Amino acid sequence: MWPDGYGRILLDGVDSTNAEALRRAGDLAGPAWICAHRQSAGRGRRGRAWAMPEGNFAASLALRTAEPPERRALRSFVAALALFDAVAEAVGSDRGLALKWPNDVLLNGGKMAGILLEGQGEVLVIGLGVNLVAVPDAAALETGAVAAVSILGETGVRVGAEDFLDRLAAAYAPWETRLVTYGFEPVRQAWLARAARLGERIVARTARETHEGTFETVDASGALVLKTAKGRESIAAADIFFG
Amino acid sequence: MSKETHDADVAFIRALAELLRDNDLTELQVKRDYGEDDSLNVRVSRMQPQAAPVQMYAAPQAAPMMAPGTQVAHAAPAGDTLPEDPAAHPGAVTSPMVGTVYMQAEPGAAPFITLGAQVKEGDTLLIVEAMKTMNHIPAPRSGTVKRILVEDGAPVEYGAPLVILE
Repeated sequence: MWPDGYGRILLDGVDSTNAEALRRAGDLAGPAWICAHRQSAGRGRRGRAWAMPEGNFAASLALRTAEPPERRALRSFVAALALFDAVAEAVGSDRGLALKWPNDVLLNGGKMAGILLEGQGEVLVIGLGVNLVAVPDAAALETGAVAAVSILGETGVRVGAEDFLDRLAAAYAPWETRLVTYGFEPVRQAWLARAARLGERIVARTARETHEGTFETVDASGALVLKTAKGRESIAAADIFFG
Repeated sequence: MSKETHDADVAFIRALAELLRDNDLTELQVKRDYGEDDSLNVRVSRMQPQAAPVQMYAAPQAAPMMAPGTQVAHAAPAGDTLPEDPAAHPGAVTSPMVGTVYMQAEPGAAPFITLGAQVKEGDTLLIVEAMKTMNHIPAPRSGTVKRILVEDGAPVEYGAPLVILE
């Protein structure tokens, strides 16, 4: 069921749902999902293109919040949990699903989706691209990145974009309520319960440095905590590699 | 240390400062051995208003070994202002969160701001990323970009000064 209080905007095509959400955010009465069947300029983190073969999913949630930036950034975890739940609902099982810090949802170890959050003034947009039926061309993938997979390819279940939007919106709303009502702790605990490679060695690459260590936990600020040869390090921004 | 040595050291540092300025360098580090257990380590650096931004919040460098009694490890040429605490500057825009700084919307794009640029209240100065959230840091008021205190890709702490607007 579509959650109370959330708008639902369905578009045939758009440049990028995040760009559209940022443009429309000023006119929105409340939080709204903006979903498009086609994106001509889907974007990933730091200028990486997000390729969207026909039949895949792209949507952005636009929210207004006066929270400080470090607080609203915790919606990375909220969005990842919602996506995890929506996929589990859609395919009827959470088998093979796991989370990679902070907001990657993995299916059988492959990258099934991408989430990009952008905050501007009091507006936060959360963009989600999901490989429902097809995997983008290998050429569009960054080298060293986790192999891309699709829900159809891994599970044999074909999910339509509009159906998936309904599931995602329904899965997102209760996590949003939990964050706002009880704070980050229940979100953090739920995220850790679904985390891949907890307690194992991982590599975190920042713009400048590479940290390698044991993935201990996620702290109360959302930072990744790594136990390295130099001691415990908490990392707020990095790309994670499992090696 | 004798008065003579001290005067010689001051003259040496002054000469280094001139060398720095005349050759348009940003930093110079020299070790001078006077004898066993008697040496002078000097590092002279200066702010360069037109050059690459100076990283103010980098991890602390290991302090140079200094002979006991050695004077002055850090000096700046007369006329150039020493880097006062930029966070205390009334025009400082500080980071609202721990994260990584990006100076442009995406790699290869033009930077949001350049030194001397006029910005309007609400214009994006830069991005601080944390938890894969790109936070646009807006100009809190209109003004001129007087200093850029961070570099693209640099990690920043909560409250770290990013830009000085006047």
